[in-house]
Amino acid sequence: MAMRKIFFIFFVASLVAVACRAGATEVPKQIKIGTLYASSGTFAPLSMPVHYGLKLWVDRMNAEGGVYIKAYGKRIPIKLISYDDQSNTATAASLYDQLITQDKVNILIADAGSVLTSVALPIAREHKMLLIDPIGIGAPFFTPDSPYIVLIGGPVSTIWCKNIHEFITDEGPKLGIKRVAILYSTNDFTGTQANTIRKAIEKSRTGIKVVYDQGVPTSTTSYTVIINGIKAAKPDAVIELGYPINDISFLRNLRESGVKFKWLFTSYPGMETEHFEKTVGVKGLYYVYTDMPASIMNYKAAFGMSLPEFHAAWNKQYPGGKVGFDFNSVVGYTTGLVLEKALGSAASMDQLALRQAIVGLSGKLKTLDGTFAVDPKTGAQIGETMPIGQILPSGKDGIKLIVVYPKQLATGKLVYPAP
Amino acid sequence: MPRTMRHILVALVPVAAMALLPLVYSNQLLLFNFVVFMILAQGINVIYGFTGYLPFGYFGFFGAGAYGFAISIMHLRMTPLPALGMAAIAAVVLALVLVPLFRLSGAYFAIANLAAGLAVYQVVSNPSLDNITKGPYGISLPAVFDPNFSYGIALVLLAATMMTVIYLRNSKFGLSLQAIRDDAVSAAMAGVNVVRLRVMAWLLSAVIAGLVGGVFAWYISVFYPQTVFSLDFSIFAIVFALFGGMTTILGPIIGVVILYGIYNLIGISTPQYFELVYGLLIMGLVLFQPNGVVALFKRWGIDVP
Repeated sequence: MAMRKIFFIFFVASLVAVACRAGATEVPKQIKIGTLYASSGTFAPLSMPVHYGLKLWVDRMNAEGGVYIKAYGKRIPIKLISYDDQSNTATAASLYDQLITQDKVNILIADAGSVLTSVALPIAREHKMLLIDPIGIGAPFFTPDSPYIVLIGGPVSTIWCKNIHEFITDEGPKLGIKRVAILYSTNDFTGTQANTIRKAIEKSRTGIKVVYDQGVPTSTTSYTVIINGIKAAKPDAVIELGYPINDISFLRNLRESGVKFKWLFTSYPGMETEHFEKTVGVKGLYYVYTDMPASIMNYKAAFGMSLPEFHAAWNKQYPGGKVGFDFNSVVGYTTGLVLEKALGSAASMDQLALRQAIVGLSGKLKTLDGTFAVDPKTGAQIGETMPIGQILPSGKDGIKLIVVYPKQLATGKLVYPAP
Repeated sequence: MPRTMRHILVALVPVAAMALLPLVYSNQLLLFNFVVFMILAQGINVIYGFTGYLPFGYFGFFGAGAYGFAISIMHLRMTPLPALGMAAIAAVVLALVLVPLFRLSGAYFAIANLAAGLAVYQVVSNPSLDNITKGPYGISLPAVFDPNFSYGIALVLLAATMMTVIYLRNSKFGLSLQAIRDDAVSAAMAGVNVVRLRVMAWLLSAVIAGLVGGVFAWYISVFYPQTVFSLDFSIFAIVFALFGGMTTILGPIIGVVILYGIYNLIGISTPQYFELVYGLLIMGLVLFQPNGVVALFKRWGIDVP
């Protein structure tokens, strides 16, 4: 009888032990983060700085023993699994699938840019993986029926140009701007911006007219005829929206043609200033208005490195200027920092819990990229907006960038009309 | 066993293999890409292998098919299978528009064809067509997203394409096309209607690309114009078909398995070595085996159709 009792107690104790073991959360040895990058092809200049920025964050985390994960209550080392999609969308699609189905990553981060992000969307949705989107800002990605995406490193394309049209409609009438020309490259990024600016101007009821509105193929590099067409429309302000190669060609052709506009905006001189100084020439940049990205603005981040510290860490890790430091470097690093914060607060490693944790940071987190704010319904980034700056001559053959809009961020007085 | 029956049995091997592989390998998208390139390489085989016209702008038909499919879903509220029919029609319409290019030959045809493909891309991505094609802003078809079913349809398409090539290999039509390729004047003097047969091969090749473009759009469901009007599709398909062996049934398939396999094995992890290996393979082939890998098998006494 006593023997039976002992067996019974032993049996119950075993059951309890098994139940406890099953209930406990198994802590993994490492957290697998999967991502893609493009070392060659169209998207390489955008993708590589983002990837290196993210890698820098991973290396720093691992040097500290890993990233703190609240769900496990401890730091866990990160294993970064990354593949080179070479800017090829078909390759990127199969590699995203590879990361999910073969490598079984815990966290999926998209490659940079809308085109290489687009192919990840249905795959992430099918596998119920949250797609951490560093800088794929295409507006169609973000819909209320798609919870498996969240944009981290830059405002969605409809918000990206917010300060341009607000400047035109707020400050334009005071400056005497009545006629606006819009020239844009026909791709998702700049086409969406052109649409948004056009609608905002028409809606503003300020009497400002769009007198020139033309889309050109993204491959366009000859603008001389177009510049004369814009001149003939007699605009007070010209907005040229393109990729770096378009902006460079436009500014070079403008300088060569001798045509001058009173107010001219192009996006990239502020983002890739050194490159533009070399390719366009300093004088070709005088009085141009441009986006003022996080790599210039020096926002005070709530945690992580400051901009000068990050720049120094970048130069130390990637010496010789092999990968240039720019706005996209900040985006890559910021993606890591946001992830770090989210993992430190998410109740579990469930993908939607992670999304909830990221959305929960909205409005509360100051990053190197500005104020982090996500639309909880769509996952689109609606913070981190781009102020408008103007490039002014400085000393002999030099330039300086001043912020001119929004007014609360202004660091100098704008020059209008351009001499 | 009759020759045609043997060809059919051999052709079903890759189809069966691609049908069974998802059971043991879960990266279905990679397998899907293999199927897409097998079909495209066979499409190139039809037009380049059998008629000698090199279509660098072949991606234009692929893109036209993808957009034909997407527009049918978005605007005509079609279900995916009828929309695939519209994908084929879109490619055929484009092929008919481009028929005058046959006045050119050799490199001139290839370059003009490439320009035509790029022109179609620019038209589709024009913001003025936003209401129809969504311009440069991209297509999203989440309502029809069904990877398993679309993969199955891609396999059916692969089987149909293989049967088409078998027909060309074993029919008077295919022989006439090869006669045109070798010497159009002699073929015409022998009673072959050169213009009509060439256009038929052109349309057949366009239908293949249009259908696979439609299936591709269905499978990935979110894409931009530059995703489907990508020159990579033409280049890859041409290289795969040439490597395997033109005018053969299994040559283009072997080309895809070897070269796309190498691409996925080392092309992604170490692109620099991949380019070296790829370059050496292609150079070696052009210098020593211009008729492709299949010819090499034949030299070794292995009969690969």
